[in-house]
This record gives sequence, structure tokens and C-alpha cells, in this order.
Amino acid sequence: MTDEKIEDMSFEQALAALEDVVRNLEGGQVPLEKSIDLYERGEALRRHCEDRLKAAEMRVEKIVGSGDQAKGTEPFEAG
Amino acid sequence: MSFNIYTHPSSHLHVTPPGHPERVARIEAVDKVLADPKFAGAVRLEAPDVTNAQILRAHDEAYLELITSNVPEEGWVSIDPDTHMVAESLTAARRAAGANVAAVTDVVEGRAQAAFCGVRPPGHHAERDRAMGFCLLSSICIGALHGIEDLGLGRVAIMDFDVHHGNGTQDIFWEDPRVLFASTHQMPLFPGTGAKGETGEGNIVNTPLDPHTGGKELRMAFEQRVLPALAAHEPDLIMISAGFDAHASDPLANLNWTTDDFRWATERLCELAADKCDGRVVSTLEGGYDLDGLAESVTAHLEVLQAHAA
Repeated sequence: MTDEKIEDMSFEQALAALEDVVRNLEGGQVPLEKSIDLYERGEALRRHCEDRLKAAEMRVEKIVGSGDQAKGTEPFEAG
Repeated sequence: MSFNIYTHPSSHLHVTPPGHPERVARIEAVDKVLADPKFAGAVRLEAPDVTNAQILRAHDEAYLELITSNVPEEGWVSIDPDTHMVAESLTAARRAAGANVAAVTDVVEGRAQAAFCGVRPPGHHAERDRAMGFCLLSSICIGALHGIEDLGLGRVAIMDFDVHHGNGTQDIFWEDPRVLFASTHQMPLFPGTGAKGETGEGNIVNTPLDPHTGGKELRMAFEQRVLPALAAHEPDLIMISAGFDAHASDPLANLNWTTDDFRWATERLCELAADKCDGRVVSTLEGGYDLDGLAESVTAHLEVLQAHAA
């Protein structure tokens, strides 16, 4: 388990970390005692990914909603 | 008829490293429940040792040799990242298995209607050839196989409501349709097994539960999958791997069962036993790591078993 702060992660980093967590949990190689900590980290990563996606969606909506004036909107930035 | 409770002093001598959740305080909490005057009518018995022949029905000889030869004279030996042994640990595990053997004998031979094995270490993660998740010997499998091989039972049903999947029980009975193994457990969580698609010879019925779910989902799992599967097996005996770590207060999982949910589940299993196998029920302690949640849930579980035996 990495100590990297989840709130500082990009979407791609968080998704990769989440995939890692799921792989470890499903692989059965995590001790029982640590399993809950890993699951909870996975939950936090999932929430972070969702927040990042939601923020991106709002940006896209802003662009679509502004129609002809799209030129003036801020570009979508992944991550 | 009688309600029998099996314990052994060695459950207190299996000392785990400092901070380990599967600790002596768990059995102290259970013993405090057993001392409640409301259970004064139960028959108290000391768990006997199990024979090697009984163990070897569930485990490989090389594995029994491995754990036997690794018993330390002092300090701890780690058999697995979670599973540690002190000098008395194998004795405790053998007595836990012996409790199940004695309980099955007394219930099947009609000396008791129901029985509870208040022992540790737990057993349901121990596979045929390896220790896992705090477990050394598969007590419930050794008990079930004793019932089949020595006492002539045709079919046994095991219900495991510990929050972790009983991978050991599944492993041992994977190709043995004489035993129906049903489990409810949180997924994802240790040990990673227990998907619905894992069915053995059609005798394994896993019902994984989503984290943060509670009594409603437990009831759906029982009514839609567990109870019909147990009933269809037409068991001669129902055994319960009674882990209490699905309790909302448990630190090792995220299910939100209440004490009443454990009561409800035990009632349904006793009703089924009354309907299918002359009421024969044997329950054995597995997990449960919040001492208050454990004590309350064990109390509810025992109240139902005792009323069932009355």
C-alpha cells in the first residue's frame, strides 16, 4: 500500500491505484488484518475518481451550455 | 433436550502477538456471556482432544506434520502473515476441533438438541494444506466429517455467517457433495474468494454482500439463497460457523448487522433444523473482534439455541 496522498492524485493515478487495490483484494494475498485497511483505501480512491469525473463533467456541461461562445470557455483539463 | 456448551482452558493459552485482533480477550468476553445465569441450564463440557485420524479427514498429513513440528517452546512462530503459534496454540486448535467432534456426537446420538463450541482459534480459513487468517485446523469440517464417517450421517449442511468467506471449508468440501456449504460474507474483503460463481459440485452456495449493507440484505440473502439451498440439501445435521464480525461495530469489516440480525439468522437456522433434521444444530465460534459486539451477539445466538433445545 502506498502512502501517496489520494487528494493529490490525478484521475489516472487514482484509477491505477484502485485497480491495484482490487487486484490485491481479489488475489487473496492480503493478510486478514490488513484487508480492511486496503478496502477502505480502495473506497477513498473510488470516491476521488468519482469526484474528478464529476468535476470534468461539469466542465463539459459548461462548454456545451455556452454554445457559440465556446471559444471563451476554459479548456477541459484531464487530471 | 439438552443444550451443550463446550469450552477448554487452552483457548485462553493461545496467546497472539500484541495488537493482534484474534486475542485472548475474545474468549474472555465469550466466557463472561457463558457465565450469565440465564445460561445456567446449559450442560457444560470440556472439549476433548481430537485424534490425528479425525484431523486427517480434513487436512493433509504433510500439513499436520508441518504445524506439529513448528510448535515453539517459547515465543511465537508465524505460520502465515496472520497466523501465529505459541507453545499452547496447537493444543487449543486441537481442542477446538475436539469440541466440534464431541458436539456432533452428542447431538447426533440424541444427548443434546443443540450445541455451541465456545473455543478459539477459529477454523474456517484453514484449508486442506495451509493455515490462513488466524486459523490452524478446520474445526467445523473435522466435526462434519466425523458425523459422516463415524456416525453414519448422509448429509450435513454448514452455514457460515462470519463476515469473511470460509475459504477453508469451501476448499475441503469443494468435491464432496455430502456437505452443503453456504456462506454470507462481505466482498471485497479477505480472503478474496466467495464469488457466486464458485459452486464446487453444486454444493457450495456463496452469497457475497456489498460493504455497508445490513439486516435487510442479510434477510434477502437468507430468504432467496441460503435457506432454500440448505433445505434442498435435506441435511441430517445443520452446523453453523458462527462468526460475529458482520456486526456494525466490528473493526475488521464494513457490514452493519445488529445483534438482532444475528438473533434472526440463528432463529431461521433453528427453524430449518426443526423442519429437516429433528432440530439438530451444532454451532462453533469463528470471528468477531469488537468485544462488546461479540458479547452481545453471542448472547443473542445462545438465547436462540437454548430456546430451540428446550
